[in-house]
Amino acid sequence: MTVHPLDDLAAYALGALDADERRTVDAHLETCPSCRAELRSLAEATWALAETQSRDAPPRLRAAIVARAGRRGRVWTGWLAALRSDLRRPVPLAVPLALAAALVIALLGYGGARRDADRYAAAVGDAVGARVVPLAATAGDGARGSLVIPANGAAPYLILDLPAAPAGKTWEAWVIRGDTPVRAGLTDERGVTTLTLTAAVAGGDTIAVTPEPQGGVDAPTGTPVLAGRS
Amino acid sequence: MARIAGGDPAALGELYDRHGRTVFGVLYRMLGAPEPAEEVAQDAFHAVWRRAGSYRGDRGSVRTWLLAIARNAAIDWRRTKGRRVEREAAIDEAAELVEETHVDDRVMANLRAERVRAAIAALPDEQRVVLSLAFWSGLSQREIADRTGTPLGTVKSRVRLGMAKLREGLRIEMELP
Repeated sequence: MTVHPLDDLAAYALGALDADERRTVDAHLETCPSCRAELRSLAEATWALAETQSRDAPPRLRAAIVARAGRRGRVWTGWLAALRSDLRRPVPLAVPLALAAALVIALLGYGGARRDADRYAAAVGDAVGARVVPLAATAGDGARGSLVIPANGAAPYLILDLPAAPAGKTWEAWVIRGDTPVRAGLTDERGVTTLTLTAAVAGGDTIAVTPEPQGGVDAPTGTPVLAGRS
Repeated sequence: MARIAGGDPAALGELYDRHGRTVFGVLYRMLGAPEPAEEVAQDAFHAVWRRAGSYRGDRGSVRTWLLAIARNAAIDWRRTKGRRVEREAAIDEAAELVEETHVDDRVMANLRAERVRAAIAALPDEQRVVLSLAFWSGLSQREIADRTGTPLGTVKSRVRLGMAKLREGLRIEMELP
């Protein structure tokens, strides 16, 4: 029988647990929808307490917050802009020079292990009756990839030929529509593999593959090794 | 939140418009002065900006996530930058769960605020004090036990009963998972 840490949820909502107690509750919350619901309602009670103290802040506070956000966007919004201007060219097979220069710094040390190029070519050749969009290798580490959109309406997938992910990282695929990235799948495979995308792909979406912490993240934090436009 | 995760600074401004007064008021209360409250509020909103991608809607609303980030930032600020005098003052002032003199006019004007006031008034003193030390002073249950000379188990049960009673008084419905 599962033991629910109900006694600790109130203290968790108040932020009054020690670090080790909090980790125990965190681990339980991952697997328990009813405790997550309980936590949500307790957290709303803390918000009610907070609201009683609302007071006007100096107008400069809002301006400072927005200005700081504008100054320091997250890493990926920067590379997305760079990718877009480079991907505007049709069929981005080669590494766009400006982009490679912008991205290479973070990627030194990936190394370029030899991989099975023939198997990659064969896998792409097998994608009959589908639209195949080559992805640009954006890191200069020899990664290859193609987006395959089957004509029969089956889920789109990537054919990938990747180096080993950096230590502690996994490869995560993204479908970026407008400014919103959607998680599209994870792989730890090195060499030639296929990855079925878990997000829908529409014309004009940006597809990217980035190294991310194990288990993946909700928005890209790494710099892409592959990118293309559907 | 998706727009904030997507890197739109205007969306962060909108979040501030909705919840900035409450966040600032909480930080003012926790830190005892406007200057550190402003500094920590900036840090808290910037943390939301950087970490928007890791927000978990199944763990709580955006506003309670923001509140937790702001309170943690205040606790960190007190530990690292706060002078001892400010720390002690903030702890003394935390004795009441809602300070009457600082209760916000706009909030108190509405029915919800009346409910909050009534729910707090209905708490037994010992539960109110424990919730206040946890929420406004940012003390852990263990720290509260040490500071007040109360057994840890007693502190824990007061936190649990006090929060349950507060929630009941506020009539926050338990959602289905």
